[in-house]
Amino acid sequence: MTLTQKPLERVEALLEPWLTRTERPADNRLDIWLPADDLLPVVATLVEDEWGYLAAITGLDPGVATGELHVLYHFAEGAAVVTLRVAVPRDEAEVPTIRPLIPLAAIYEQELSEVLGVAIIGAPARGRLFLPDDWPAGVYPLRKDFQLEQLDDKEQGGS
Amino acid sequence: MNASASDRFVIPIGPQHPALKEPGHFEFTVEGETVIDATVRLGYAHRGIEKGAEGRNWTQSLYLLERICGICSHIHSTAYVVGVEQMAEVEVPARAQAIRETIAELERIHSHMLWLGVAAHDAGFDSLFMYTWRDRETVMDLLEAISGNRVHYSANSLGGVKFDLSDETAAAILKGIDFLEERTRHYREVVSQDAFFLQRTRGVGTMTRQEALQLGVVGPTARASGVARDVRIDSPYIAYNEFPAHIQLLSAGDLEARFLVRIDEMLDCYRLIRELLARMPAGELAAKRMPRKLKPGEVISRVEAPRGELFYYIRSTGGEQPDRVKVRTPTLCNMGSVLTQTIGHNLADVPMILVGIDPCFSCNDRAVSVRRAGRAEGQPWSWADLRRYGIDFYRRQMGLETHALAKG
Repeated sequence: MTLTQKPLERVEALLEPWLTRTERPADNRLDIWLPADDLLPVVATLVEDEWGYLAAITGLDPGVATGELHVLYHFAEGAAVVTLRVAVPRDEAEVPTIRPLIPLAAIYEQELSEVLGVAIIGAPARGRLFLPDDWPAGVYPLRKDFQLEQLDDKEQGGS
Repeated sequence: MNASASDRFVIPIGPQHPALKEPGHFEFTVEGETVIDATVRLGYAHRGIEKGAEGRNWTQSLYLLERICGICSHIHSTAYVVGVEQMAEVEVPARAQAIRETIAELERIHSHMLWLGVAAHDAGFDSLFMYTWRDRETVMDLLEAISGNRVHYSANSLGGVKFDLSDETAAAILKGIDFLEERTRHYREVVSQDAFFLQRTRGVGTMTRQEALQLGVVGPTARASGVARDVRIDSPYIAYNEFPAHIQLLSAGDLEARFLVRIDEMLDCYRLIRELLARMPAGELAAKRMPRKLKPGEVISRVEAPRGELFYYIRSTGGEQPDRVKVRTPTLCNMGSVLTQTIGHNLADVPMILVGIDPCFSCNDRAVSVRRAGRAEGQPWSWADLRRYGIDFYRRQMGLETHALAKG
């Protein structure tokens, strides 16, 4: 797996100030845990240095008991994948938008906010992109505590 | 010259529209014939598949995820099984991996051939559309000969494949791709020489390499703009180490280049399939044992679908079911480029620019349950309701007596 060593070494050098908690879940992967405040400078550094591209944003509900939601930003360069992991409090889930740096992120962030309820700070308000127009506000289908009944309980109020 | 607001007109296209093969909604603001703004609304084919996978075991989810797309079903199941096998630390026999790759490349041929026809149809070149779809039947027949199915081959299982390639099937495949190769060379001539067709493609929807990188497009759309990215080569999976694909790259970045890149990819598929069949490894079709429960962990699985990089993130918390399956399909990456490319073009070019990315809406849209239209209490339909509705619908169509509809 020498092919992936070089890009990963480069990213470690690039992001040196932010590497307080890292993991190597596989030979070709590097996970970096970040506070939400550090997200923008880290993404800016990757973009500036043209390290790889944003492959996807995964929203994750690790369970109600944790009180958290996780947002994973996957960057790929060849076979190497760097994942920026941001944990946010469940009842005040928000991350800053990265779309000024990566325009494509807009579509991923929109999906994240619709299905998992992570607010995207700095993103212009717009209608729904994925969920139906009459989907109740404040109901997020990918959260683990989502119940189908929630679709009946609430007055329709899609925003 | 500043046009006043009254010169502007918003043209809604979709969700149901003759220029779209699948539901999407676009709003193009035009000044005269020129598009000056574009927006998109997706989600009309959202079926709740990511959520659905959380409630099914590892094997059931395979069948569900395969149904994300009716064109590239095999590549979805491949992305999933490769990830799950990696998490389970299961070694898949070489023959199974080679068969997976053979089917993946046959699927790429069928997908590109289908696209070529649809794109020709959108350009008003219906004879090309009919010829390509006639020829596509050859590869559909081959897929059916291997798996018994034209669309959902269900060739993958966790740990291997379900179908072997017999010598007779291999001979049929070779014969089929000889024919297809000849036809594909002909199509390459047509799309690069036909003057009428070139008016619709040359210099239309041009995207420079820099723009392609900035917009984050993937697959043939990116490779037509000189972005050398192909997961089969960058991060080989299944048997792509032993049987490598060759990257097909052009720099023009216009619609013509997108046609040529896909046609060149088909030609490379023929080469690759011949190599696979010539040196098909012997051995088992599946790993001896595939655990029912997976230990906690997560995995990222990237594969090259016909439309570009397909990204799966799979997480296990140690049970019989996935805790999270995230699917990022190539069309989602490419959709943004449609909006920016159409600006400044004639409205008449819009369908061609859209078809240029080979959009797949059922891949785009995934996550949620359906509500019964016009039913005040907003209950989701039960399976029995749906079934009865379907039966009654067809009975009415045929003038037969219907059952009493289910009481609300």
